[in-house]
Amino acid sequence: MAKKLKGDSFFLSANDLKTGSVVYYNGDDWSEKVYKAKKINRSEIEEHENIAKKFEDECIIISPIFVELNDDGTIKKLRDIIRKNGTTF
Amino acid sequence: MYQYSDKDKQIVKNRTKEFLSQVKRRIDGNLTEEEFKPLRLMNGLYLQLHAYMLRVAIPYGELSHIQLNKLAEISEKYDKGYGHFTTRQNIQFNWPKLEDVPKILNELAGVEMHAIQTSGNCIRNISCDHLAGINNEEVEDPRPWCEIIRKWSTFHPEFSYLPRKFKIAVIASETDRAAMKVHDIGLKLVKKRNQIGFEVYVGGGQGRSPFIAKKINNFVKKRDLLNYLEAILSIYNEMGRRDNIYKARIKILINELGAEKLKSLIESKFKKFADKKLLLEEDEIKKIKNYFKLPINDPIKSSIPVKKNKEYNIWLNQNVIKHKLAGYSIIMVSLKHYNQPPGDATAEQMKKLSIIAKQYSHGEIRVTHEQNLVLPHIKNSDLFSVWNKLRALKLATPNIGLITDTICCPGMDYCALATARSIPISQKISQHFKDQSIQDKIGNIKIKISGCINACGHHHVGNIGILGLDRNGEESYQISLGGSADEKTSIGKIVGPSFSEKELIKAIQTIIKTFERNKKNNEDFLSVFNRVGIDPFKKDLYDKSNP
Repeated sequence: MAKKLKGDSFFLSANDLKTGSVVYYNGDDWSEKVYKAKKINRSEIEEHENIAKKFEDECIIISPIFVELNDDGTIKKLRDIIRKNGTTF
Repeated sequence: MYQYSDKDKQIVKNRTKEFLSQVKRRIDGNLTEEEFKPLRLMNGLYLQLHAYMLRVAIPYGELSHIQLNKLAEISEKYDKGYGHFTTRQNIQFNWPKLEDVPKILNELAGVEMHAIQTSGNCIRNISCDHLAGINNEEVEDPRPWCEIIRKWSTFHPEFSYLPRKFKIAVIASETDRAAMKVHDIGLKLVKKRNQIGFEVYVGGGQGRSPFIAKKINNFVKKRDLLNYLEAILSIYNEMGRRDNIYKARIKILINELGAEKLKSLIESKFKKFADKKLLLEEDEIKKIKNYFKLPINDPIKSSIPVKKNKEYNIWLNQNVIKHKLAGYSIIMVSLKHYNQPPGDATAEQMKKLSIIAKQYSHGEIRVTHEQNLVLPHIKNSDLFSVWNKLRALKLATPNIGLITDTICCPGMDYCALATARSIPISQKISQHFKDQSIQDKIGNIKIKISGCINACGHHHVGNIGILGLDRNGEESYQISLGGSADEKTSIGKIVGPSFSEKELIKAIQTIIKTFERNKKNNEDFLSVFNRVGIDPFKKDLYDKSNP
């Protein structure tokens, strides 16, 4: 999950198991609201991999990923921007 | 059309019940995702970027008006009010919730539809010519053969875990409208010495290593078809690679062994099977053929309404084809309206089209691999009325076979595998070239766009193929030229370094200008390319002095 990660800060995101919706980890739980997402530093990745695993095991989420952020806190990659905003056409 | 037997109904019902239980166990935590994934894939359920995606089989691209209406209802009730018709004649729903999927499958079962074998390493939905049974050139209707193969391949115990997915197409004309030679097996019904049988092609495919299928048998008798297919699949199942997903398709096996060697292995396996239970009896074939009798039998006297309406006349010329029975026409329903993602149809379009099909086309609709729909049996005298109704639904765009009739995969707007977007590219091309006189001047051309190397948008066989790539985080588009999916199937040649999203339209414009400069008389794009080669295009695209 953390392989090939670049950058220093991230959101933890996944899909909700029941609905498939894109969700973000907010420190306690998962929310579709990206503004509630917890900013994670590189040093916290392993800890959050374990958190994601716990929620996966509890059948809350699937397919967790770390979303790379720019220095200003915005999402860096187009794929992740599309996941956040929806289709582009 | 084929109608389910009681046994078929029971199979689909049981499968739906089974999947309901699997979904419950997954949500309750009794199945891990690792355990559940192969089960959901067997029911056509993927996880995409934003949501689950359900792929529903449309066997050989044929739908009844009742089925199309049900697809519309499902899209409204469980999705976002639209569906996406794919390059393998299926339909995809992009937003279903996991807990709703068993309900969707249950509703589909009620109209004799399902999502079985629309994913996974098994034999997928059988593709067919969308003009099967209604064109003049075929030796016989290929649809019964698609159904016979579907029956054989569904839940085939030996072929449910093949090395990789397996795709079969059947045609019966010299003209290939089903991209037969880029399938794992392509079957062509032919008449030789007064007998009808099959030419068999093996090892076609696209993806990261495109290959054109090689003919391995000139004539397989009808009664031997299933035994012969069983022989091919058995050899593939035994010898296809399972250690490397990228080398697992039969195209790689035939390329590594050579066509002659593979053929001899298949032939010796076939000899072992030849007199066994898969031998097709004439009665059985006849029984299946009976389902596919045309709803109309005789030619009629019916004239095409003459109107001084420019738009109608352009549409007649571009989207209407002669039926094999005089007095009837075939309408190609374009799903390429200029602002619409290629292949998408809204619930309203599907619902109203199902009514049109019921009223004017004996309740039948077809799906083309080029992501359009077909109304196959329209009385000539009804053409103006049907045009008016289609036009009101934005389903009468007169662009079949023209530059805005692009094939396009969902790309990075939906797909978890995609490396770039494809729908916005298609829309930009459509916007740029939408002027009808420009389209007519360019003439027949196939632009095919894929958002990644897996080639769901068939870019390898586009006259102009566009492949979306990720270059250091930026979308980038590689262009290939000269591909074709018809009877003269060819793989396009990569023209050179890729273009950014911003540069792409200019590059397409340049290609069209080069074509027009080299065009003689009424030559189409592919003829010009085959005559002049890639160099003039390359020069114009990359010549620095070309501003």
